[in-house]
Amino acid sequence: MTRSQADIETAIGWLVRLQGEAATESDWHAFDAWLTASLVHAEAYDAAQAFDQRLDLDARLAEHAPAAAPATDNVVPLRQSHRAWAWSAGAAIAAALVAGAVLVPASGVMGGQETTYSTGVGERKTIALDDGTRIELNAASSLTVRFERKTRHVALGDAQAFFDVAKDPKRPFLIEAGDTQVRVVGTAFDVRHRDGQVAVAVQRGEVEVRPADANPFRLRPGQGLSHAEGQADARLATVAIEEVSGWRQGRLIYRDQPLSQVVGDLNRLFPRPVKLADAKAADMRLSGVLIVDEQDAMVGRLSHLLPVRTTTTKDAIVIRAR
Amino acid sequence: MMRLYGEKRANLARVFAARLRSVAEAEDLIQDLFLKVQALGDLEVEGDGSALLFRMANNLMLDRLRSQARAGARDEGWRSLQVTTLGDQQTIDAPSAEDVVTSRQRLKVMMATLETLPAPIARAFTLHKLQGLSHAETAAQMGVSRSSIEKHVSAALKALIAKLP
Repeated sequence: MTRSQADIETAIGWLVRLQGEAATESDWHAFDAWLTASLVHAEAYDAAQAFDQRLDLDARLAEHAPAAAPATDNVVPLRQSHRAWAWSAGAAIAAALVAGAVLVPASGVMGGQETTYSTGVGERKTIALDDGTRIELNAASSLTVRFERKTRHVALGDAQAFFDVAKDPKRPFLIEAGDTQVRVVGTAFDVRHRDGQVAVAVQRGEVEVRPADANPFRLRPGQGLSHAEGQADARLATVAIEEVSGWRQGRLIYRDQPLSQVVGDLNRLFPRPVKLADAKAADMRLSGVLIVDEQDAMVGRLSHLLPVRTTTTKDAIVIRAR
Repeated sequence: MMRLYGEKRANLARVFAARLRSVAEAEDLIQDLFLKVQALGDLEVEGDGSALLFRMANNLMLDRLRSQARAGARDEGWRSLQVTTLGDQQTIDAPSAEDVVTSRQRLKVMMATLETLPAPIARAFTLHKLQGLSHAETAAQMGVSRSSIEKHVSAALKALIAKLP
């Protein structure tokens, strides 16, 4: 832990000041200067903010009986049977390129039989398994499902997927992502396995993650783990799950991610390749939201967020440092 | 101006996430700000561009707050955490029983910790955080200044962050 108690306390002071309705221009200048002075400050602030949000969530959840949905006008409870509908509507919002479909395996996946699902560039799928589990598969991803009597197995290839696992304490759900094992009973979470990196973020319930035979980590809602394959260690952090799984709503949300990762994501959405011309551009870091619409428009927005120049030809878009 | 936006957007998003009580809403707001900044084109800005960005974002936020005529910050916070808007319909993912149990346990620790704190601190925190009053309303109710409320709420959070994971 690099951040000190003093940083956390300063961060809390800022958070409360900004939540008061009277934040002024000079508050903004001072806050911006404090954040910019050290990465540790920004981390401490984000931790304080996540903690505060968690308190709000606790206060709210504690008031609610589990089954009772809050009384809001045009709210439809999102139960199993509504999911297919909800997903196709969500997919329609995203992009004309992105097709939404619900796949129900014809012959079931019981008795050790393996079924492989995959999506092409720009494609997304929702998979409904026999046990009630639903998997949303992001673009250019593949996974294999195998159900046995005592366990449910999924092997992730190069993939990102959001799992909403049906509860079955007698039959745990196991996911293999490279050298990392994820074990759950019934929860909702996002797993990303790309370019030798594994990242897990939890929305609901508890998830056990075991990277490379290390001791397992228990993740709770709002927590995330990232791990580089082949390394012995892993990083735990507080994550905003709606950001990590923003792809489900056609939004790519980045916090200080390298441009090379952003370009990788774009290349899973559109057939025309985006290329990085130099290492300087590849190493640039992006924080921001990219709405998934058209490739030219998305790359155009990148060149406003970062000091890069783009050149478009018939068969590629090249990004170079400005 | 666009370059400055690129530099400041993450910090602006933090400010407005605190004010709107929602990371997702703040990201939307800062995305709208992008469109406004883009509309300025290559316009050179005299003086303090960073302050101008803050003012523009602030105005966007006030516009939103006015047009939404919302049902209180707490309801909105709840909705933004739990609800996905699809077209004109909202779907809601009801919390699971285990989430509710976990939150109740955390709330118990929260209440026990508050009891160990000086009474004005616990009261300010309860009014603001649990009953959803604004800083100004809490200050009026307790008959103290807004800056005292800030100090009380900060003190409570500092005590709580030490007790809760």
